[in-house]
Amino acid sequence: MTTQIFIKIGYACISIAVMVAYGLLTGGVMARIRARVYGRYGAPVWQPFLDIFKNLNKRTAISHGMMFYLGPIFRFAGGLGTYLFIPAVFGSVLFANFSGAGDIFLVMYFIFFGQLGMALGAGEGGHPYSGIAIARGLAQMSAFEVPFALAVISIVVQYDTFSITEIVAAQQGGILHWTMFTNPLATIAAFIALLGMNMQSPFDIVIAPQEIPIGPPTEFPSQFLSMLQTNRGLFLVAKLILFMNLFYGGATSVWILFLKTFIIYLANLFIGVSFPRYRIEQAIKFFLKYPTIIGIIAIILMAMK
Amino acid sequence: MVNPLYMFILFLAFGFLFAILDKMGRKVTLTLFYGVLLANFIIPLYWIWGIFSGTTSGTEISTAGFMAPISINLRFGFEEIIIVLLVNFLGLLSAIYLSDKFKKSSINGMILFMVLLMSIDGLVMTRDIFNIFVFLEILSIATYSLIAIEKNRDSLSAGFKYMLAGGIASAFILIGIIFLYRFTGTLNLDDMIGKSHLLVGKAGFLSLYLFLFAILLELKPFPANGWALDVYQAVNEGLVAIIAVASSAAIFFVLYKFLPLVPSEYYGYLGGVGLVTFFFSNLIGLKQKNPNRLLGYSSIAQMGLLLATLSILKSFGSNDLIIFQIVGGLFINHFLAKAALFWLVGIVKKNDISAWTNLRTNPSLLIFLGVFILALSGLPPFPGFWAKWDFVMILASKGSYFSIIGILLASLFEITYLFRWLGFAMKKTDSTEKIDLPISKEFPIAISAIALLVFSVVTTYFFKEFSFIQILPLVGLVLMYLFGYLPVKVKGFVAIVIISTYAIKLYSLVSGLELFFAAILVVGSLVQIIATMYRSGKREGFYPFLVMMIIAIGNLVIAKTYLSFFFQWELMTIASYFLIMKGKEVTSAGLKYIIFSMGAAYFIMTGFAFAPVIPAINLSLINTIGMKHIGILSLSLLSIGFLIKIGSLGFHVWVPDTYNKADDDTTSYLSSIVSKAGIFGFFLLAVAIVKNASLDTELLLTIIGWIGVMTAIIASIMAAFQENVKKLIAYSSIGQLGYIILALSAFNHIGWLAALNLTLNHMLFKLMIFLAIAGVIMRTKTTNMYEMGGLIKKMPWSYISVLMGIIGLSGVPPLAGFGTKWMLYNALIERGWYLQAGAALFASGIAFLYLFRLIYTVFLGQAKPEHKDIKAAPLWLLIPQYIAIAVVMLISMKPILLLKPLSEMISVYIPTNLGWVGDKLITVNGYWNGSQVMNVTMIIFGIPFLWMLFITRKVQKVKQFNIVFAAERPDRPETTHFAHNMYAHYNKAMGFLVTPKLAIKFWDRVSEWISSSGATLRNFYSGNGQTYLLQIILYFIILYSIMGGK
Repeated sequence: MTTQIFIKIGYACISIAVMVAYGLLTGGVMARIRARVYGRYGAPVWQPFLDIFKNLNKRTAISHGMMFYLGPIFRFAGGLGTYLFIPAVFGSVLFANFSGAGDIFLVMYFIFFGQLGMALGAGEGGHPYSGIAIARGLAQMSAFEVPFALAVISIVVQYDTFSITEIVAAQQGGILHWTMFTNPLATIAAFIALLGMNMQSPFDIVIAPQEIPIGPPTEFPSQFLSMLQTNRGLFLVAKLILFMNLFYGGATSVWILFLKTFIIYLANLFIGVSFPRYRIEQAIKFFLKYPTIIGIIAIILMAMK
Repeated sequence: MVNPLYMFILFLAFGFLFAILDKMGRKVTLTLFYGVLLANFIIPLYWIWGIFSGTTSGTEISTAGFMAPISINLRFGFEEIIIVLLVNFLGLLSAIYLSDKFKKSSINGMILFMVLLMSIDGLVMTRDIFNIFVFLEILSIATYSLIAIEKNRDSLSAGFKYMLAGGIASAFILIGIIFLYRFTGTLNLDDMIGKSHLLVGKAGFLSLYLFLFAILLELKPFPANGWALDVYQAVNEGLVAIIAVASSAAIFFVLYKFLPLVPSEYYGYLGGVGLVTFFFSNLIGLKQKNPNRLLGYSSIAQMGLLLATLSILKSFGSNDLIIFQIVGGLFINHFLAKAALFWLVGIVKKNDISAWTNLRTNPSLLIFLGVFILALSGLPPFPGFWAKWDFVMILASKGSYFSIIGILLASLFEITYLFRWLGFAMKKTDSTEKIDLPISKEFPIAISAIALLVFSVVTTYFFKEFSFIQILPLVGLVLMYLFGYLPVKVKGFVAIVIISTYAIKLYSLVSGLELFFAAILVVGSLVQIIATMYRSGKREGFYPFLVMMIIAIGNLVIAKTYLSFFFQWELMTIASYFLIMKGKEVTSAGLKYIIFSMGAAYFIMTGFAFAPVIPAINLSLINTIGMKHIGILSLSLLSIGFLIKIGSLGFHVWVPDTYNKADDDTTSYLSSIVSKAGIFGFFLLAVAIVKNASLDTELLLTIIGWIGVMTAIIASIMAAFQENVKKLIAYSSIGQLGYIILALSAFNHIGWLAALNLTLNHMLFKLMIFLAIAGVIMRTKTTNMYEMGGLIKKMPWSYISVLMGIIGLSGVPPLAGFGTKWMLYNALIERGWYLQAGAALFASGIAFLYLFRLIYTVFLGQAKPEHKDIKAAPLWLLIPQYIAIAVVMLISMKPILLLKPLSEMISVYIPTNLGWVGDKLITVNGYWNGSQVMNVTMIIFGIPFLWMLFITRKVQKVKQFNIVFAAERPDRPETTHFAHNMYAHYNKAMGFLVTPKLAIKFWDRVSEWISSSGATLRNFYSGNGQTYLLQIILYFIILYSIMGGK
């Protein structure tokens, strides 16, 4: 029993390390693609690694208090947990993670763990901009969660299970078995939600990357920042894997995983660089209109089957 | 036995003698006066004693040496003795109350007073209809002479109007008597009843109608009663108690005597007259500010109710014992409470009920006011409660829907104006004006209150055979009052001892679901008593009602009959109302609370009334309900009642105000405990439904489910827009209760499991949050969140408590809150309620908004300069919070400890379809291993935590405001704290859902419409005697044409 637990923990460590590396690299590649679209040269693809390394070696001289200090830890643990409760590669013991602990709803709710902790940590920093950004982020989140939740319910109805592994299993046997083709409406609703989740344009006012940088990431220095950056890589991958599992047939090997998630993110970016930005209330209204209606129709269609 | 004729002799003899005796000095006459009144009170008392001890059964007195029907005969049977006793008792008390008047005014006052009482006694006792007329005339003459004795403009004009109406009544009655005599050849009532077959055809009907109408007119039916109201308003309160209560009682008794003559097909019309009077008088009463006139409306309404109950029960052919219990109960209630309230008005001397605040300088008077108002409102343990319950049960069994609606709606009106009055007296701005209170004025009031209470105890304990544990809430109330003089900490300790003892007793009585609810309600309350000790001073009147409320709620669980459940429910309502009224500026919130609570109670009462009687086996309701087929009507009514109590969408308007204005620890009770009583009610319903498999409840459950989920959504949005911290949590509470009924109405094993878990969790999380915020409010002295901020540094323990609370409420893993949300979604998907599941997820997303706002604006961001020296919350408040946190941690780490037993409890009702593999719970669709999630989370949280601890060990702590942006120090903390109108953008997008405030507008319109119609109807009463006469004549004609001669 004890050995099994240690093997499991060992596997989890490897799994995390691979995905962090992959996530950071993807982030770098995407940043470069984005730069090229905008007519810039762009930073090297390994820039995220450099950033983390640099920040890790900076000093931390000031503490704003316990919650401030715990914020990034919450965030990182949230990223870790989200990833660890998803079975990353179908049929692989190494990448099965702790998916036996809970189903799709556990993952959906665990996403909030990091966000909540982070919000509170940044809140203690005392800078009003973090509060403003979090208020925006939460408001937007409460809206994009709706089409996402509807899409999830739709496929739960479709496959009659909450288990991510079983959902992936049901999609095996050819590309036409993917949810993307068997339940296209749910996929569309969820894909739009993913834009919000990844804070791609037109839903990027939350972090307002172009003007005054606002929000939690600007609040945290040095090692805290490096932790957040590490998480950014991992959390990104976790979300992409989740989508891949739910809608795009999952992956039977790490390589397929890399390929599929890369394409999903690329599609995301494609839209991200093409659209101007919504104000927060516009974004909320948008999410609660078309994607929500699509999601409801997706549920009704599946329920009628 | 003393011959009752001596009563007449005493009154008359001294009436004549007083004119002479007064020459010997007022002291002599006064002594004799009270002697006579006392003697005449003792005589019927002696007879009562005789009847109870079995030595007599009453008597029949013939006059002038002949037997009836030749002579005029008086009867002194059980009913007569009781009424005469009460009348003479009231006469004595009124005379004591009026003693200083009698000392000063002319001797005529005393003489007239005795003549008045004599005529009332005569009316009660006589069996001769012409004699009835004679006594009625004496009564009228004595009354308007007494009215006119005041010699002011109002009383003279009122007396004149009284004469006009009395004159008309006399004319009618006399013509009626002539006709009756013509047809039957007798004046003796008993003889006439024997010959009632002679009263046939139009003429027979007309003769009866004339007599009956005169009597009805004296009972002041709506709308032909304007004259009476002017009298009530203008006359001295000591006298009005006699006129409105004792005279009316006697006239009512005349009607009672006369009824056997009336063919039973007319009883329904009389009932209609009574109901119309009861309904409209209470409706108009809503607009009254003058206490005398308000009581006038109430008196007339009560007489209408008595008339209605008597006639309706007679028309149903109910037996005498039931009539005696119901009519008698209402009668006693009205008789004692109303008279005493009139006296109270005379003491307080304020012409507007909103100015009654000076009553607070004399706590005993305030308590009396409370007792009388509770009694008149038909609340337990007073006789009116039992009577109203029995009456509604009978009406329901006969299918009299309109009567039930009319009576209950009118009762609600009455409760509204009575409690508004009580609320003003208890809570309107303070007054230090002392009340001049001679003992002679307080004595009658106190005696009435005591008589009422004694009577209540007797009914409750003997007639209704309530066991000791059922009346324990009241015992607890009294017991805690005895400790009133002790400081808060000691009283809190005593309360803990009492409730612990009760909890141990309760534990031996419960099992299964009962045990679960008993634990949540009683143990949850017990823990919170510690928190109540954070106040200093004495907190008078807080602990008695707290103890009463907790025991009543606990007793709900073990109640064995509908009546006993409803009894405890009402006790809980009363106790929680008085707890709420301890708050500041709580007048309107308290009124809202009592109106909605009573509305809920009436729905519950009618729901029970239409439910089949449960088998009389010695088990609590949750085991027996549904053993017989329960109908959909009953279930729907009960559901509405419980929906109001938990403040579901549409009925939620009372919640935010009440929670906001009540004391902070009371609010915690309201949210964490009292609202669970409604949830327990829903479980009762659910059990009843489960046991009736044939019943089609699909529609009902679907409606409840949608109400639940819409409540969750709208309440969450509302919560996100609040600036007031208590209102925010109040809306949150509304929303969470919505989840509970949603889970329950899914009606599968996992759904019930989710509902039970949500119930427990909500109790724990709301306890933590409300008590933590109570500490914050205590220290910051504000409830506006934008005036707080940055308190994490000063109040870290409260912060942790709120943090745990919001993690739990939002359902973020690994705390127990996630499990409940997960079970909820399982239940909804299993049931096929996919859209509801989507909506529930939407609501739980919005919940993050308000939860973040709660913790961020209060504890994070920048602290205000004025809060730089505040201290942590008192330990008393923290102890219960940390007990709750310990429980939360336990059930989060080992959910199986809780879930398995709960699942077993449920499987009695719905077979389980869950599986367990180790700590892993497997449902139809999904799985969850709470312990593993907790372990993984602790590891992934622990490792980075230790790592960061290691690398950031040499840091400098900086002050909160030590921040920089754009190379500049921010101006002031106030401008740097982001809190006010935090979700402006969300409001722009989603505000349209909540800004119309449809529910508030709806209830405003309802109350506006009701009070305007009351105001419009009031225009009937022009104050003009001629108009009143016209109204009487029109009423005569209309009633005649409606009843028609059959």
